[in-house]
Amino acid sequence: MKSLAGFVLAALVLSAVAFVLGSYQTDVYRKLLLWITLALSYNFLFGIAGQVAFSHFTFYGIGAYAILILLFQLGLPLPLAIAAGIALCVVLALVVAIPATRLEGFYLALATLALAQLFIVVLNEGGKWTGASGGLANYRLPDVFGVRVTGPWYTVVIVLLMLGTLATLWRLDRSWFGRACRAVRDDPQAAQAMGVDVARTRVIAYALTSAMAGVAGMVYAFVDNTVNPPIFGLENAFLLLFMVIVGGSGRHAGAIVGAVLLYLMPLVLSPLIGHHHALVFGVFMVVVVLFQPSGLIGLWDALARRRSAP
Amino acid sequence: MTDFLELVVGATASGCIYALAALSYLLITRPTGIINFAVGEWAMLGAFGGFVALSRFALPYALGMAVIVVAMFFVGWATERLAVRPLVERGAPALAPILALLGMLVVFRELVSLGFGADPQPVPPSFGFGRLEIGPLAGSHQSFFIIGVTLSVFAAAWYFFERTLAGRSFEAVALDRRAAALMGINLRRVMSLAFAASAAVAALAGVLVAPNVSAHYLMGLPLAIQGFTALVIGGVGRVEGALLGGLILAFAEQFTVRYAPVPPGLAMGVPLVLLIVFLLLRPTGLLRAREARA
Repeated sequence: MKSLAGFVLAALVLSAVAFVLGSYQTDVYRKLLLWITLALSYNFLFGIAGQVAFSHFTFYGIGAYAILILLFQLGLPLPLAIAAGIALCVVLALVVAIPATRLEGFYLALATLALAQLFIVVLNEGGKWTGASGGLANYRLPDVFGVRVTGPWYTVVIVLLMLGTLATLWRLDRSWFGRACRAVRDDPQAAQAMGVDVARTRVIAYALTSAMAGVAGMVYAFVDNTVNPPIFGLENAFLLLFMVIVGGSGRHAGAIVGAVLLYLMPLVLSPLIGHHHALVFGVFMVVVVLFQPSGLIGLWDALARRRSAP
Repeated sequence: MTDFLELVVGATASGCIYALAALSYLLITRPTGIINFAVGEWAMLGAFGGFVALSRFALPYALGMAVIVVAMFFVGWATERLAVRPLVERGAPALAPILALLGMLVVFRELVSLGFGADPQPVPPSFGFGRLEIGPLAGSHQSFFIIGVTLSVFAAAWYFFERTLAGRSFEAVALDRRAAALMGINLRRVMSLAFAASAAVAALAGVLVAPNVSAHYLMGLPLAIQGFTALVIGGVGRVEGALLGGLILAFAEQFTVRYAPVPPGLAMGVPLVLLIVFLLLRPTGLLRAREARA
């Protein structure tokens, strides 16, 4: 009950922020919320279920392209397109998950890396369906029952998406399934011996988080009102991984801290060092892995412990 | 027919580049189990080394190449010291060094773009841009040079692993780390040497491919993907696997572009599809590791 009140409060506060921002800040705010959403679900996949997959951002792209193709090339009405888009993301995630999660460790990373690259190739060669290298543009969110969600209200949609993702993963992490995921991550054989269905746990974790990324992508499609192949390239897949690791993998708060920090860092740094903020990301990543494996949230924990100790 | 044979020479040359990248992975993966995604960036560093040594300072080709290989040997050694050894000695999870190397990948790439800018830089080929005909086979000088160098590198690697004591110690570490350490093999030295040799081989691939594609700070990742595709096709168990995998990949790629009725853009997906198929159906690759011999 207390956590429900917390979520409602967070929704109100984060939504209220949307109504006071200018147009540039709104853009930054929306993308920040989307990055947090993605980092949260990727954290579940990578940090909690222990699967090193580079396909998360690809599903984000699949969601974005799917909703646009369903709406404007197949001419479905918005509610139907949303339902069909979600169904498509779930089905595709399952189709990938069932063979991919059979792969051990780094082979999963390699296969999903190839999948991510393949997605870009398909986008570039998709002809009129994907708009090839130019991508899709010049569209806007259609009306639903005569109402069109725009401006701050669309930001509210993103806030709800982010909090919905957080709430779902929060519940899941604390459930039997979350513990099964952690058990499979730490020792698949021991998990198997304890009666956890390892294969099924892996498939569900992968498919669920990937479908969540797909839904976030559907929302993203109407943030910039344009999608093109470079957006969904490997750079952003790496960035997502960096966010989760720098923040502290396996922790929801860590994913949020990492996403906020690494998303805002280029905006702060680019007046100082131009486009070389990626160098800072790389150094950050190496330093965190070497000296602070539990991420920034681990630093926070250590501080809190020291304060409560005496 | 001449067209076909020309294609064969070209495909063999690019297959050799992939094979060198695959060998670079293999040298590290085999004894340590670490997949080093920064292999592509090492090749990129090699290519820029080529630009500095051969274009800017106009060193003689052989001397320039020797300088690059030695310099990259140290880069590989330093990478291991800095980003891998502290983690291994601390007993960090197996994933940690891989993530640290992923971070190093970004560091290498951004340092180069900081130092040389985003424009491609020219690197000269070994014997000019001429064409060479050997019987029915025809191709650029560089293609034949690439094939020659790669074959010598693989012959040397094969000799090292099969015939020298140091090479056998690599093999022993690959088979059983603990047992190897108990038999008096210095694990640290094997790791250092693996990274240093891997960087030198990657740099060689970079210098050799650079005349065709120019040195560019983004050239690493495609090469890294082609390299590990070749590795997966051939199998991580044996040196010859890397060569075989590289050649199969290059032939599949170039013959699809040339003869299959698909747009050239889609043909770029061929190595990716091959990689996924091999991972799912035959993750040990075509050549299996030999059983341990008494």
